[in-house]
Amino acid sequence: MDQTLFIVGINHRTAAVAVRERLAFADDEITAALRRLRKASPAVAEAALISTCNRVEVVGVANDAASAARETLAFLAFDRNVEEGAFVEAVYSFEGRDAARHMFRVGASLDSMVVGEPQILGQLKSAYAQAGEAGTVGLVLHRAFHKAFSVAKRVRKGTLIGHGSVSVSSAAVSLAGQIFDRLSDKTVMLMGAGKMAELTARQLKALGIESLLITSRTFDRAVALARELGGTAVPYDSYKPYLKMVDVLIGSVASTKPVLGPEEFESVVRERRYRPMFLIDMGVPRNFDERLNAMRNVYLYDIDDLGAVVQRSIGDREQEAKKAEQIVELELESFLKWMAGLDLIPTIKDIRYSIERLRDVELGRHRGWLAGLDASERERVELLTRGLTNKLLHRILSGLKQRDDKVLDGAFAAEVARRLLGAEFDAADEDEDDADDEIADD
Amino acid sequence: METLWLMPAIVCYAISAAIFIFERTSSESTSGQTRATGYAVAMLGGGAIFHALDLTARGLQAGNIPVTNFAQALSFLAWLTALAGLLMIVRLRMAVIGAFVAPAVTIALGAASLTMKARRIVLPATLHSVWLPIHVTLAILGYAMFVLAASVSIVYLAYESRLKSKRALGPANEAAPSLEKLDRINYRLLGWGFIMLSFAIVSGAIWADATWGHFWSWEPKESWSLVIWILYASLLESRLTVGWRGRRAAALTIVLFTVLVGSFVGVNLIFPGKHGGSFG
Repeated sequence: MDQTLFIVGINHRTAAVAVRERLAFADDEITAALRRLRKASPAVAEAALISTCNRVEVVGVANDAASAARETLAFLAFDRNVEEGAFVEAVYSFEGRDAARHMFRVGASLDSMVVGEPQILGQLKSAYAQAGEAGTVGLVLHRAFHKAFSVAKRVRKGTLIGHGSVSVSSAAVSLAGQIFDRLSDKTVMLMGAGKMAELTARQLKALGIESLLITSRTFDRAVALARELGGTAVPYDSYKPYLKMVDVLIGSVASTKPVLGPEEFESVVRERRYRPMFLIDMGVPRNFDERLNAMRNVYLYDIDDLGAVVQRSIGDREQEAKKAEQIVELELESFLKWMAGLDLIPTIKDIRYSIERLRDVELGRHRGWLAGLDASERERVELLTRGLTNKLLHRILSGLKQRDDKVLDGAFAAEVARRLLGAEFDAADEDEDDADDEIADD
Repeated sequence: METLWLMPAIVCYAISAAIFIFERTSSESTSGQTRATGYAVAMLGGGAIFHALDLTARGLQAGNIPVTNFAQALSFLAWLTALAGLLMIVRLRMAVIGAFVAPAVTIALGAASLTMKARRIVLPATLHSVWLPIHVTLAILGYAMFVLAASVSIVYLAYESRLKSKRALGPANEAAPSLEKLDRINYRLLGWGFIMLSFAIVSGAIWADATWGHFWSWEPKESWSLVIWILYASLLESRLTVGWRGRRAAALTIVLFTVLVGSFVGVNLIFPGKHGGSFG
């Protein structure tokens, strides 16, 4: 028994969206597709299918990885009704160490289009659940997925890979958070209805802004947007009196010269008693005179300033990605050790847990009459059962650890334990993961 | 008089200051940073405990609140500042001010320890009254608030200039307090400091009347306290009437604080008057 992990697939780097969309699977198709794959490809022992907007990949386990990869590709072409020639150039294929590394990097969001974006972990989890449903998850994939999840958690906790703003609108929102403590009691005004300005308003709204004013040269547009976002439309020729109540002003009006200059703004700022004001200029040409930034407690960011914030965040994430790669390499070693059968520890832990659990269940079943015993008798029952399970455990574990002339294969040992202990054994793994979750969520 | 506790207190404060400053200047990952903050806060707390033991020992010796010379008053101020600073760091999540509070406390206590043996005022029996701890604690608590307000203002100015010049904070500082929060806390600290100072002046006047028969004698400390009281009153008033908030308020807070330090040091060391021990 010498199984290896393999991965074949395409992603945003190797294939254009026109290719990716042809191979993509809808969420509800995946379970059935995996069953078809297993039927069609005898070389594939275990398999899971990850299909997102940025990637379509099959991660599997096989004795002969090369032919399994070939069969999987042929299956994808047939199942999606795409000629293999149309995408074969874009396909990457890894096995063994490289496959595991790729899987961990995907989970840790190192292979994402926007490095550090958080959705991929959820997508990986659902791919695992769907494969479980299809019955195509065996011991190796089970361990590989759980390892990928824990790598992702370690990366998220140990690095700043998910921090910083990587889009113009989120940079604007993050800056608002550096100026204002609470957004709920602030007023936002949207001038003009550019796409990016609208997106920023939406994000601010999602963060709790309650008061949103919208003005636009076309009043109907302002009214429609106000209805959609839950704001108030203000006619464009009479928005100025409202400026003094506005804390965040987003400009995206099409205009050849600034719509607001320092002369008229001076009175606004004074009437506000110099409460801070954040001006976001998303217009090109710019809507707000750049001299506004020099006014007391006024912060003006134009589209280039926001772009610079984004660039810096991306640079920071790349730095953090280096740390993340180190974490991946470390975890990779421990996974490969387990694969190579050198590491029996997880299996031993699982066996110990499942036998302990059996004892608990049995004691629970006899709770009724056990309660009738007095304390010393109850203690003797306790001792007796523990003695039994310990003897049993000792036998099994010393048998496992015994190494005559050849090393006992870890995966094989795990498989044997799984068959012998059945449901309890699987439960042991789940509980361990829950424990991981609790630690990670602190 | 020497106590066992002064040195450990200074050492704890110094370590705390070192960690806080190192943390400000390095860009470690968030998890590392919160752990470092934890150590820094623990050291600051440990320092405050040793410091409290030192103050207690001196208080027992003096038979009253230990403010019998400038060094002791400075030490008491450092202790109250450390306590109030700890409260702000923990309750208001303002770890950033640790980089100012911890060094300030370290330097103040270090300076105090050098002159701790200086001439002590021997209080005449007439002044051993309940007004002594009330008056002194209120005054020094007020000063501690002003120390913290100045620290918050320095942070405000630093953040503000970064935002103005488009050098927004990096990811490691995402949890940093917003300008609005800093400004609000500054305002509250000034408000509380002002209230404490007002009560200190009133309690001093009542005490003086009870002891000497007159409320006010225009000695240097009294005059300067009045000047400082007026300055802080106008700072608070300007915020409410003409909206001097944000950058301007922060800058003025720092300016007033330097005046305060000048008067605290100057009056105590140069023109002692009654507060310095000449009770004539």
